[in-house]
Amino acid sequence: MSTMTKSNIISSQQNHLSSTQATIDNSDDAALSELTLAFKLAFNHFEITSNQSIRISAITGIYGDSGSGKSTLLRVIAGLEHRAKGQLSLNGKSLQNSENKCFIKAENRQIGLVFQDSRLFPHLSVYGNLAYGAKRQTNHKLTIEKVLTLTQLTKLQHQNVTQLSGGEKQRVSIARALLAEPKLLLLDEPFSALDKTTKSQMLTILKAIQQQLQLPMLYVSHSLSELQYIADQLVVVSAGKISPSAPIHQAIHDLNSLGETSPKTSLSLIIAEHLPDYGLTRLSLPIAQGSNHSIYLPILEQSNDQRLIGQLLPCIIYARDISISTTKPEHSSIVNHLSANIIAIQHSKTNALVTLETGEQKFYAQISLWSAIRMELTTQARVFIQFKANAVHSYHNTEQTIHA
Amino acid sequence: MPNLIQKIILLFVIWLASQASCAFAVEKSKQTKPLRIAVAANFAQTLKLLLADLPNKEKINYQIISAATGTLYQQIKHGAPFDIFLSADATRPKLLEQEKLIIANSRKTYAFGQIALWSATQQLNSLNELKSYSNKLAIANPYTAPYGKAAQQALQHLSLWPQLKNQLVTGININQTFQQVRSQAVPFGIVAYSQLVINKYQGIIIPPEYYQPIAQQLVIIKASQQVKLAQQVSDFILQVSSQHKLQQLGYLPIKSRQEHSKVNE
Amino acid sequence: MTDISSDLLALITTLKMAAVTTVILLIIGTPLAWYLAKWQSRFKVFFEAVVALPLVLPPTVLGFYLLLAFSPSSLPGQIWQSATGSQLAFSFSAIVIGSVLYSLPFVVQPLQKAFEQLGDQHLEAAAMLGAGPIDRFFSIVLPLTKASFITATALGFAHTVGEFGVVLMIGGNIPGETRVLSIALFDHVESFNYANAHLLSAGLLIASLLLLSFVYLLGNNFTSKQHRPTKL
Repeated sequence: MSTMTKSNIISSQQNHLSSTQATIDNSDDAALSELTLAFKLAFNHFEITSNQSIRISAITGIYGDSGSGKSTLLRVIAGLEHRAKGQLSLNGKSLQNSENKCFIKAENRQIGLVFQDSRLFPHLSVYGNLAYGAKRQTNHKLTIEKVLTLTQLTKLQHQNVTQLSGGEKQRVSIARALLAEPKLLLLDEPFSALDKTTKSQMLTILKAIQQQLQLPMLYVSHSLSELQYIADQLVVVSAGKISPSAPIHQAIHDLNSLGETSPKTSLSLIIAEHLPDYGLTRLSLPIAQGSNHSIYLPILEQSNDQRLIGQLLPCIIYARDISISTTKPEHSSIVNHLSANIIAIQHSKTNALVTLETGEQKFYAQISLWSAIRMELTTQARVFIQFKANAVHSYHNTEQTIHA
Repeated sequence: MPNLIQKIILLFVIWLASQASCAFAVEKSKQTKPLRIAVAANFAQTLKLLLADLPNKEKINYQIISAATGTLYQQIKHGAPFDIFLSADATRPKLLEQEKLIIANSRKTYAFGQIALWSATQQLNSLNELKSYSNKLAIANPYTAPYGKAAQQALQHLSLWPQLKNQLVTGININQTFQQVRSQAVPFGIVAYSQLVINKYQGIIIPPEYYQPIAQQLVIIKASQQVKLAQQVSDFILQVSSQHKLQQLGYLPIKSRQEHSKVNE
Repeated sequence: MTDISSDLLALITTLKMAAVTTVILLIIGTPLAWYLAKWQSRFKVFFEAVVALPLVLPPTVLGFYLLLAFSPSSLPGQIWQSATGSQLAFSFSAIVIGSVLYSLPFVVQPLQKAFEQLGDQHLEAAAMLGAGPIDRFFSIVLPLTKASFITATALGFAHTVGEFGVVLMIGGNIPGETRVLSIALFDHVESFNYANAHLLSAGLLIASLLLLSFVYLLGNNFTSKQHRPTKL
């Protein structure tokens, strides 16, 4: 299998970036949101507290179990929770301050919110719903037609919203929120009710919208893989406590050691080439100056369309899918193998979670306690990790068109 | 389609709003008020027939307002804009006089009511038919309605009260009693004779000696701004020709009854 | 004055009373229903009971107490007289106020139920799109509860047309001002004018039937509209 030259990869990356910026020019203020949250909200059974500042440049994920308070956090930011005490500000402008009784109403905060249950207005058509958002704001940078195209709703614009499918409803809901031209868009588990295929289509569309409009977003979900695909940084909400934000891969790796979720490796790889003859797509992992590893996964697109080449693909590899070998596995059906150094071993009753490093990139392998003992694994040891192409998961939508 | 419906609703709302505004405008512009004659419901029809002969009636603008005597009394007490009040009894006019709500000396008996035994199901020949009567008998409430009190007195006079008192159906007023008999729901009833005359029914008049006179009195309301006109109407009702007509309509005229007993104390 | 023309006058008075009453009821009943629907308090049931009271209270009883309140010797009556220069009792305003109180539950209750069912979801969504409270009422609440507004209007109007006891007590049966159809009808029966009574009741019955049918037709159109497939 051939490897692409480095210059090739870089040039295609630049192509991608320039095409993004050509579509829309944005004012600087919308490109980055600084959100300061210092509030306390007490309910009968628990309270939510926050005392930090989040810089949102693209999509910041908010992760937590159901009932952890993440939806409430969004409602506080949106201005829908009047009972929240404390201070809240966006880009230096105070949204609320219980000390001087300041409370900017939800309708005046210039914050958009996409609800889990879409909440489309049943008495209006798709177009009517979009126009509702557009009519009530002043700087008409976006046209309804443009947003219809962006959300692939042009054909549905005269439909009655009650007859739409779940995916269509959420696209209308997002489009409607976009047309109100908010400074910050909040999304509360917008795709949790959708099937996996539709969900991946939606995530792809949302990501494209974010890139085109440069609109900062806060995306709430209880699915780490969904967040991993869409977000560039993560905030974890647990029992009403809100953690500081961290880059997405680091944040997911930090969760591994807590044992709350199944441990996984989270990484973004450059799509290098499609190999239709083998049914694989090759991804590139830079490990040191001038050299990179190849990682293969089932082919992302069947056609000869090369539009994905050069893009970054967020991937997840579950620790349970990675095995360790002390010798180079040359006669194996497993396509992906990399050499790595063990940097930590964490034992539990049945398993050992092995943290490895290849260049700068961390990998996590979960092996049986028995194997760990038998193989006499120690930190600093140089080993080989291997995993099947199928073990590389990505939310990327493999379909060309939307059938949601 | 929905547009049409919306237009209809809009028109309706506009109409409602215009009604609202003009209603209040109309209220302000009312200056010259007609003479308002408040009359007990059971005398309203008779009064209309009487006033047909009112001299210069084209020039006199009057309105007849009828309700139960008790209701009219309460309304006058609370400022109802009536000029003259024709009660079905003497009690309420006396109360109004005590409360100083009427023009001094305006309280006059204008007629005496008569009661009659009546059945809508069979031809009656004499009061004696009550002696062996075992079915329901309709009378007006003896405690509140003057005609009911008279019916009780008459039955007591005939010594039939102990026998019939458990067969009574009492109406809240004499009109209800009349309806009960007329609808044949109750076979026999003691009603106002005037009711039978107006509706052209045959009944047996109960002799006036059997009961205390049912004096019906009129008063002119103190707050009236057309006292002169009210006085004219009062005089007209009391004049001989009117009294003669009242007699034809089933009432006893003032003169004949006053010979029997003194009512205007 | 002939009976027919006096009945016609009564009809006009009735329509006027019902129309004015309905407009006032919608104006005060809508916010009242809104607060009852949204208010979370133990005392809420008490206020709901107060609104429902006219359903229980005999109209003549309500009318009697209103008569006491409106009379020129009482404080509310005096306040009215000094403010407007005319007497409150036995005026058109008096029967309108009486009808508003008497028909209040017929307007407030359907609206309250509709507002409760509507919930906050769509209102929150509208707020997030920049719509203020008044804007939300006209752009979201009103279109989504149209059917209930129609029902409330119909019930309020129809119940006021059929109103008798309260108007009888506080109106004084004054032609052209407070003499309404139901009282004219009662007068005809009381004075053995059965032909006129039959004519009037038939007219009232047919008019009410037509009005209510029309209103329910509108209501049906609105409720079925949301489920009707639209052409592409």
